[in-house]
Amino acid sequence: MDLARNLKIESVSRLNPTPAWHVAPHQSIAEAVALMRDKKVGCVLVCIDRRVVGIFTERDLTRRVLAPNKPLTAPVAECMTPDPVCVHPKDSIGSAILKMIEGGYRHLPVVNDGKPQGILSVKRIVHYLVEHFPATIHNLPPSPMFLQPKREGA
Amino acid sequence: MICPSCGWDNVPGNEACTHCQHSLTPLDRPKATNRVERSLMEDHVRDLCSNPPTTLRPDATVRQAVDLMLEKNVGAVLVVDQDQKLLGIFSERDLLKKIAGNYALWQNLRIGDFMTAKPASVAAGDTLNFVLHKMDGGGYRHLPVLENGRPQRVVSVRDMMRFIIGMCDDGSRRPSANGRH
Repeated sequence: MDLARNLKIESVSRLNPTPAWHVAPHQSIAEAVALMRDKKVGCVLVCIDRRVVGIFTERDLTRRVLAPNKPLTAPVAECMTPDPVCVHPKDSIGSAILKMIEGGYRHLPVVNDGKPQGILSVKRIVHYLVEHFPATIHNLPPSPMFLQPKREGA
Repeated sequence: MICPSCGWDNVPGNEACTHCQHSLTPLDRPKATNRVERSLMEDHVRDLCSNPPTTLRPDATVRQAVDLMLEKNVGAVLVVDQDQKLLGIFSERDLLKKIAGNYALWQNLRIGDFMTAKPASVAAGDTLNFVLHKMDGGGYRHLPVLENGRPQRVVSVRDMMRFIIGMCDDGSRRPSANGRH
C-alpha cells in the first residue's frame, strides 16, 4: 500500500464520512449544543431545505458565543461559520487533508450538489493514515518500552 | 523461524534459537518498507515542529481559559501545578460538554473542576508511530509532550498530518523532521 499514491487516487467517499447532523438557522444555539452533546460530535451543519449554508462547531461556540458572552437563546445563524469549506465525495483524500491543514479545520462537510452527504473528521483521517502502517503502529505496546515480564501462553 | 546463524528450523515465536541460542527477536520486528514508515519508526516527537504548551493553573477561571484560547488560537489549554507538572487538560470539548448552557454564571468557575484530569501524553523521546497509535486509539487531537512530568510542547493532529503529507509529497525534499517550514 503506497500512501503517496493512495492519497491521490482514493476518494473521500471511500472513508465513509460520518452522518451529518443539522439544524435550521433560526434554531437556538442551545438546541445546537444539545444536539452536539447528544450525538457526541464536534460540529453540526446549518441547513436550509437540505442545503448547507453554514457550520457550527466547538470552536464557534468558544469564539463567537462564550467569549463575547452571547446568550444561548440567540439563533445559531448569528454565530455559525457561513459557507464552510467543503469537499466533494469524489475529491481525493490528499486534497481533503490539505484543506484541513491549511484552514486548521477538524471537520469538512462532504457535499454533493449542495446536499450534505456526511462529515469528514480529522480523526477519520488519522485512522486512514494508521491503516497504511499496520505493523509499525497497530502492534505497539501501550507504553513504548513495555516488555512482557513473563512469556505468554496457556 | 529459520535461525540466521545456524539454519535451525525453530518453532515460530521462539526468542532464541534452540540449537545455538542465537537471539531471534530481531526477526519479528516490523521493518520499514518505505520512507514514510521508516521516518515514523525512527523520528522522535522532539524532532517534529510542534507548538509550545499554553498553560494555566487549576484555580484559573473559565473566563481566563476562554480568553487564553482566543489569544493563542488553540483549542485546549494544559492545567499545571506550581511545579509545572501536568494535572489535566481543558479543551473546547469540555466547554461544550460541561459548561455551555449548564451554568449561567460560568465565567468565574475554576477550570480545575472541569478539566479532564490525567490526560494521555507522550514523552519527547517517543517515536512518531507511537504518537499516531495514541491519537488513533484514544481519538485525541492534542497530546502533551512531557519531560519529567512537565509539558514541553503539544503535538497536534495537524502537526502529524503536515509531517506525513510532507513526506509523501515527493522524494526531493524532506520537510519538518528537523527543519521548519
